[in-house]
Amino acid sequence: MQPPKATTSSTVRPIQRFASAVSKCSAESAAYGKCILADYNSVHKDLCANEFLRLKNCYLLAAKKV
Amino acid sequence: MRLNLAPVCRPQQWKRLLMGSGTARRSYALQSGSLNFEVFNRRAKWLQKERAAAHVREGRQADYLKDEVAMRVCERLLDVKREFPLVLDLGANTCNIARALLRPDPDPESEPPVTDPLATKITELVAAESSHSLLHRDADHPSLSTAHVPNFKLTRHVLEHDELLPFSPDTFDMVLSSMSMHWVNDLPGVLSQINSVLKPDCPFIGAMLGGDTLYELRTSLQLAEQERKGGISPHVSPLADVRDVGGLLQRTGFKMLTVDVEDIVVDYPDMFALMQDLQAMGEGNAVLGREMGPIGRDVLLAGDAIYRALHGNEDGSIPATFRIIHMIGWKESPNQAKPLRRGSGKASLKDLLEQ
Repeated sequence: MQPPKATTSSTVRPIQRFASAVSKCSAESAAYGKCILADYNSVHKDLCANEFLRLKNCYLLAAKKV
Repeated sequence: MRLNLAPVCRPQQWKRLLMGSGTARRSYALQSGSLNFEVFNRRAKWLQKERAAAHVREGRQADYLKDEVAMRVCERLLDVKREFPLVLDLGANTCNIARALLRPDPDPESEPPVTDPLATKITELVAAESSHSLLHRDADHPSLSTAHVPNFKLTRHVLEHDELLPFSPDTFDMVLSSMSMHWVNDLPGVLSQINSVLKPDCPFIGAMLGGDTLYELRTSLQLAEQERKGGISPHVSPLADVRDVGGLLQRTGFKMLTVDVEDIVVDYPDMFALMQDLQAMGEGNAVLGREMGPIGRDVLLAGDAIYRALHGNEDGSIPATFRIIHMIGWKESPNQAKPLRRGSGKASLKDLLEQ
């Protein structure tokens, strides 16, 4: 099996696009983080679903603009 | 071509290795029970290293950690007043140890007449590594030029199996290892092979990641997965603890042990930058039984937010802790210095300290 080929250095990797979109949502990100931090010893599924949806919406909007 | 020959694809070759005359390859049973310690996927690790080597520019940028640790390992050589004709670097990565050895003026505290590069103490360094491309990545790079140390020779050796040392017993005057033993499945086995290939009264000086390395990333991803998916999968390797390492060295026959830890904290702009750098280092997740494929976007999004909230710095960056376990052990020899028998001390430390 061949090892993966190197991508050319000029292409922007998806993770970099993702990171720059996420960086535009610091307020939503902080709100979600705060919600988890308030109760991090008993985190369960969808504990902070509302905060996460707000963060995700913000990210999706930002990702469209990038 | 060499690259196409993944070591795991060739069991018949292994067999030959195992049946060979070199007794160094035998791993000793140190514990009753199973000898198959399988924690990491060796093939995945090999592929990650090959991939890291293919991205030369990113790889060189991300070499800061391995170069730093290699330098700290080699600084310990300043305390050993000896010449080493033949030295093994086990798990050489991109020959980071050789780079550190070739550095001019290695002693930062030395007075202006500069000290010689540490490589002057060594005649031949065998850099052994399982990934051919990673080992040869910097073959022509100026940092590995041996022109200023004419007596030093760097030999590259591609290991067929990274946990089987193809060397005869009592071969090396020293074994070095930096930033690779945390991927070894059978640590007791590899340590006893190292002990075997060393000549009597010769040191093993190593450093690997351990303990609380990347605990910030580990906890953030755990919380993110717990909240988003309702369950967790391993993203950061299980690592040896300082106490384990001391015990292991002792049980594999090393004498005069020194084990110490050092934390290197690196700040990153966000979690993604940390993960990209880890990938460029070839230090991605290779735990067996991990969830295959990339981490989902939701978990990444949540993880970054939690990382900032839980561990973030005030200036908006995030810290990542790398805990380096340094170890030194000497192979036993009848005429080496030994600790005195317990209770045989005549002077009281208490009196000394009170003076």
